[in-house]
Amino acid sequence: MESFTFPKAVAFLVVLIATNLTGAISSTVSHSTATMHTNNWAVLVCTSRFWFNYRHMANTLSLYRTVKRLGIPDERIILMLADDMACNARNKYPAQVFNNENHRLNLYGDNVEVDYRGYEVTVENFLRVLMGRHENAVPRSKRLLSDEGSHILVYMTGHGGDEFLKFQDSEELQSHDLADAVKQMKEKRRFKELLIMVDTCQAATLFSQLHSPGVLAVGSSLKGENSYSHHLDSDVGVSVVDRFTFYTLAFFERLNMYNNASLSSLFNSYNPNLLLSTAYYRTDLYQRRLEEVPVTNFFGSVMETIHTDSAYGALSGKQLKSGEIKMSSGEDRQRILENSDVQDQGSGLNIKDQQVTCPFTRTLSTIHESVEKVKDVDGLVNFGLVLVIPLLAVSSWLSS
Amino acid sequence: MEEKEPVKSKPRPIIRLGLFLMSHSLLVSVVCCTAGILALLLLPVLAKNTYISENALMPGSASPMLSSDDVSEASRFVGKILSLNSSSASLGIEIPRLIKQHITALGGEVNYHEFRSQLNTFRPLQFFASPDPGIIQENSSCMSYGLNTVGIIRAPHGDGKEAIVIVTPYNSGKVTAGEALSLGIGYSVFSLLTRVTWLAKDIIWLASDSQYGEYAGVAAWLREYHTPFFGGLGKLHSEICCEPSGFSEFETDAILETGISDTFRHAGTMAAALVIKVADSSSEFEKDALSIYAEASNGQMPNLDLVNIVNYLAVHGHNLRVKVEKIQSFLHSWWLWGLGGLFESLGKLARSLNPQWSFGISIAEYVEGSATLASSLYNQALGVPTGPHGAFRDYQVDAITMEFSRQLSPGYRNRQTEFLMRGGRLVEGVVRSVNNLLEKFHQSFFLYLLTSPNRFVSVGVYMIAFALLVAPLPMVAASLFSDASKLGSMNEQSTSGPFSKPALKFRSWKWLHAARTVLIVQFWGAFMTLLPYFYCHIPNSSPMTRLLIWIVLLIISLLLLWLNLGSIFSHGNNTQSQRTQWAYLKSVTIAAAFTGLCLMSVINFATAEIGALLLVPMCLMTVPMKLKGWTLRTSMQVACNLVLTFLGFPPVAFVVLKGALKGFDSISIGEFWTWMEALWEWNSATYVYICMVHLPCWVLCILTLLHPC
Repeated sequence: MESFTFPKAVAFLVVLIATNLTGAISSTVSHSTATMHTNNWAVLVCTSRFWFNYRHMANTLSLYRTVKRLGIPDERIILMLADDMACNARNKYPAQVFNNENHRLNLYGDNVEVDYRGYEVTVENFLRVLMGRHENAVPRSKRLLSDEGSHILVYMTGHGGDEFLKFQDSEELQSHDLADAVKQMKEKRRFKELLIMVDTCQAATLFSQLHSPGVLAVGSSLKGENSYSHHLDSDVGVSVVDRFTFYTLAFFERLNMYNNASLSSLFNSYNPNLLLSTAYYRTDLYQRRLEEVPVTNFFGSVMETIHTDSAYGALSGKQLKSGEIKMSSGEDRQRILENSDVQDQGSGLNIKDQQVTCPFTRTLSTIHESVEKVKDVDGLVNFGLVLVIPLLAVSSWLSS
Repeated sequence: MEEKEPVKSKPRPIIRLGLFLMSHSLLVSVVCCTAGILALLLLPVLAKNTYISENALMPGSASPMLSSDDVSEASRFVGKILSLNSSSASLGIEIPRLIKQHITALGGEVNYHEFRSQLNTFRPLQFFASPDPGIIQENSSCMSYGLNTVGIIRAPHGDGKEAIVIVTPYNSGKVTAGEALSLGIGYSVFSLLTRVTWLAKDIIWLASDSQYGEYAGVAAWLREYHTPFFGGLGKLHSEICCEPSGFSEFETDAILETGISDTFRHAGTMAAALVIKVADSSSEFEKDALSIYAEASNGQMPNLDLVNIVNYLAVHGHNLRVKVEKIQSFLHSWWLWGLGGLFESLGKLARSLNPQWSFGISIAEYVEGSATLASSLYNQALGVPTGPHGAFRDYQVDAITMEFSRQLSPGYRNRQTEFLMRGGRLVEGVVRSVNNLLEKFHQSFFLYLLTSPNRFVSVGVYMIAFALLVAPLPMVAASLFSDASKLGSMNEQSTSGPFSKPALKFRSWKWLHAARTVLIVQFWGAFMTLLPYFYCHIPNSSPMTRLLIWIVLLIISLLLLWLNLGSIFSHGNNTQSQRTQWAYLKSVTIAAAFTGLCLMSVINFATAEIGALLLVPMCLMTVPMKLKGWTLRTSMQVACNLVLTFLGFPPVAFVVLKGALKGFDSISIGEFWTWMEALWEWNSATYVYICMVHLPCWVLCILTLLHPC
């Protein structure tokens, strides 16, 4: 009987240890700070139809243009437009959309990829995009293929109210729907950090149910406040842009993708007297200090860089160390490296900061430094060989 | 006894309330009627400011694009029309030809629409039915023609499912300066709209021939527009009229000239229609003015948003003085000024008590408001459209007439281009605003009364006055009925003992006699409604003689009726049963009046409101003249009754009202008849109301008055 129970107990112990181990592993993996910021995604949504909501489409297209300019590639932008103003019969300038009455910039140029248009823009599709629960037939270009290292920008504009945002004049996205979707995204490790930017009336109420870590939320107005349009284009006959978006764009127009402006400078640029509403930002779920986060972390595709002396050494070392960190595509890598080069020239300070902040880079560099410090390389090798001999002797003795 | 007590439970509160009101019906009816009339007088105070309810409209958000080039073109066009007027004899052909040339030059589609004048026929029940396409074939005489010219612009990127109509009526017999200017405004807007890229709805410009009345041409075109006809033009003509006509020859000429086949052209469903007129008389203000006419047949109104955008653009965009029709004599009536003063001081008092209560309006505002309200109420009650826009309402198209009037001043030539510019830009603004619309007009009110161009009383408010007026009717009817049945049962108990069941049964069916009387009088009313069918074709008779024929026929038929009904009155022998008889009769009369008024309030509210003002006091007051001895109170009552019943006779009511408003010297009795004829020519439900509700109730009140008891 004992001989029977003993292996069982051993097996049980083994299983227990194994589960403990995997649990420990998963807990370390899910800890967001452990993973690196690897890529950027943007979900830009215009929720309202009809000609008189021209400005919502112009808002979204302006932001689309901005994030593209700042380096998020088209395949990582999910653009949802509930109506097609450019081809509306009432449009005085067919196939063109403007966000300013000076008509200098056509937002609907030749390089706009709309992923969800017209009646495809529904609450269901929006939530499916966020949570990644698609039918099999949905192409990759319409999916948010983010991972645990992604920074995601979600921008929404339309008509909203107390804790809801209207979609298409027929349904609403409620604040708890949004919070639930974000929570599921967190559980499924679909983002590292998430910035939700909303330009509607009473936008702040939409964030009231959020409580997933790593989420930053910006709204154009507080509860009970309206968000107003910025100006009317008397040539087209409609308002062309909302105030909040107009001043956001004005902020970004001054930047290029190498600028180092922080999120707090963006938030401080909102002047309630110009907005005619009070911009609201919710930071209690966000770990980092806003002063230290560049806006390009969300609105562009500029990531923390891994400083390496030689490309191959760092790569091999990294692959040896852990297979956990996913690499972005080669093209991206190249761009990042180029960027870092430029930044090197611009300011060495930035790199230093990043070396301090990133733990992975720090350990790598300490190992590297300690290796550098060793002068007598041959002696070290001989010492190692001497150490191997007793090991060999012990192992041969055990096997015999 | 103790077992029975729980069975005899208290009746439910609503029943107790009903019984309470019935037992105090006299007080209730006095209070309700007073409150009803007071509520009617308060309506100008309760009016709200209009607001544009539909988001999509966005009036005035686009800057006008009508340029001075368009206007100078239009000015030349006006000059050409006026020169044709002085030179050519055959205006009926030349003006359509000119318009067609211009439209073709602009690149629009164009066609002629030929129509025949229709004899106004008597169709009393027309208002129940939709306009009948079969009418085209009937009643058309080959002698008289009108020729509409229709130009169509297709929206460059639109789907062609909707259209906006601009109507400019002109008299092809003799074009006045005002009509030429309205054609000029139409042309300037049309020429602009052929060039713009923002059209989502097609534009139809209808230059309608108004030699048979402004309404007839538009109505004929609309009828054909909504009656798809498959086949050639010639076929249609040959069906209607075999004689070759000058116009068809001309048309074939035109077809040969231009090489365009001249079929009837369609665009999409109409979203809205604007009728543009220019008054020949000058504006009495120092500014150019714009009058808005909105009432269509049977008190139907276009959506308030359409009135709002026109008013908004005219006032804010183009500095025009906007006015709606008002009854002028109200502006000088002393009692309205007195009431206005009272309301103003009450408003001030309320504000001094609580600064947030600001419902008072100034005296002048009140008087203006009441004059406009009265005109609005009267025009709706009449059920006759106030302009060609009425034809559109029959097809559920929102339409209004905009009548511009010029301020005449030296430097006429410059003024004309400026006037054309102003009018054209206003029409362009309205068209652009309607063009933005995504659905039919539906956001704002359809049931409203205007108290000024920018103030209105909605249905929820003006219903109160009517509801208060008719509320006592069912209560009084019920209390009369219950009193009479109590009296009757007591009567029968005294004669045939307390427990006779047959007597009870008899009593409960007694009201059927009264009901029979009412029913017979109602049938007589229906007969009177149809009576004009039989003699309206008497040639060469003046309205006066027709009215006299009608009154004579009415009296003869009444006498016949009296002879028939005489048997009823001889039914009860003793005074008690006769007392109950008249009470039953009055009760059923009141019930019939109540039903009639409520039905009418659904069809045409304004008619019901004015009708209730006349009918309710008359019905409530009637008491047999021989009821009691001649005391001061009864003689007062009898005098009141006689006055009310006299006033209740429709011709008398008409003459007295008209006299009170316009002075008695200009009144002739025959006018009533022309008024009545106008009502049935326009298929007004008011005519049916007068003959089938008002007249029978009046006759029944006379029967009650003359009841022998």
